Amino acid sequence: MNKRVMVITGTRKGIGRYLSEYYLEKGFIVIGCSRSESDLTHENYEHFCLDVADEKAVKKMISSISKKYGKIDYLINNAGIASMNHSLLTPLSVVEKIFKTNVFGTFLFCREVAKIMSKNKFGRIINFSTIGVPFRLEGEAIYTASKAAIEMLTKILAKEFSNMNITVNAVAPTPAETDLIKNVPSNKIQNLLNRQAIKRFSKYGDILNVIEFFINQKSEMISGQIIYLGGIS
Amino acid sequence: MNKKMIAKEICKIVNDYFESQDMDIIAEENTVLFGSESVLDSMGLVNVIVDIESRFLDENYEISLTSEKAMSRRNSPFRTISTLADFIEEQIAANEESDE
Repeated sequence: MNKRVMVITGTRKGIGRYLSEYYLEKGFIVIGCSRSESDLTHENYEHFCLDVADEKAVKKMISSISKKYGKIDYLINNAGIASMNHSLLTPLSVVEKIFKTNVFGTFLFCREVAKIMSKNKFGRIINFSTIGVPFRLEGEAIYTASKAAIEMLTKILAKEFSNMNITVNAVAPTPAETDLIKNVPSNKIQNLLNRQAIKRFSKYGDILNVIEFFINQKSEMISGQIIYLGGIS
Repeated sequence: MNKKMIAKEICKIVNDYFESQDMDIIAEENTVLFGSESVLDSMGLVNVIVDIESRFLDENYEISLTSEKAMSRRNSPFRTISTLADFIEEQIAANEESDE
């Protein structure tokens, strides 16, 4: 199997869809997933309908990929949900939902995919954080806390997986014009953009650029890093 | 799959691991995998567990060696190849029962 195999979560729309189309164009085999069906059709694309926090379903998906393709080269943990609300107005059910998708989902995919990557002694894992973490954004306590958990997971898994030649990094975009922020008032978003060194929305291409750097063959010394877009540190 | 077959499969996997690490040891049923007398270091044990899970999955036996049940037992199922074979046999039997 010479073709490179990439797993991307949350591929039905937004950044996940964009990344799927980009890497399919580059000749990769892309396996995506989302809770509902995808209308993306391509001979090298396969879609799984699942909840990323469903352990059984994730295990089944990864083992079937392993059987079919014999390897997984890259994992992009893009699936994520947000809820922008004051903590005093946030029900526990929302907290659970956000942590399940963002943290448990990312963990499950890292764990199951790393088992396959370890056999080939090669792998690149990319997680998604947010600039909300360094900004410690009020009104986003739970979403940001879940992303802070992902950052720490990224840094520790980088150590645990290093002897298998698997790197684990994260990209942390500024707000991008996706469904994730569609319900946030525009003045809130503008205030946030004003706090950035580079005061604009992230474009999909900005995120792709960081992913390209992480998955580059020459990036084998890059692991446990969180790259913030927009000039934030 | 009975205990003898399971133990034989585990021995094969552990021997493959020893070979990959240039370790001059041959695994047998009483080979110690976990604890102070273990022939494996902690990462070695992780690698072997992952290999066992995936090798059994290839044969369509879905086992999970990292369950809470395994971790909380008074006597670790990972102690020797023989105890691990007992634990896997139990899991396969439980899975077959729940499928019925």
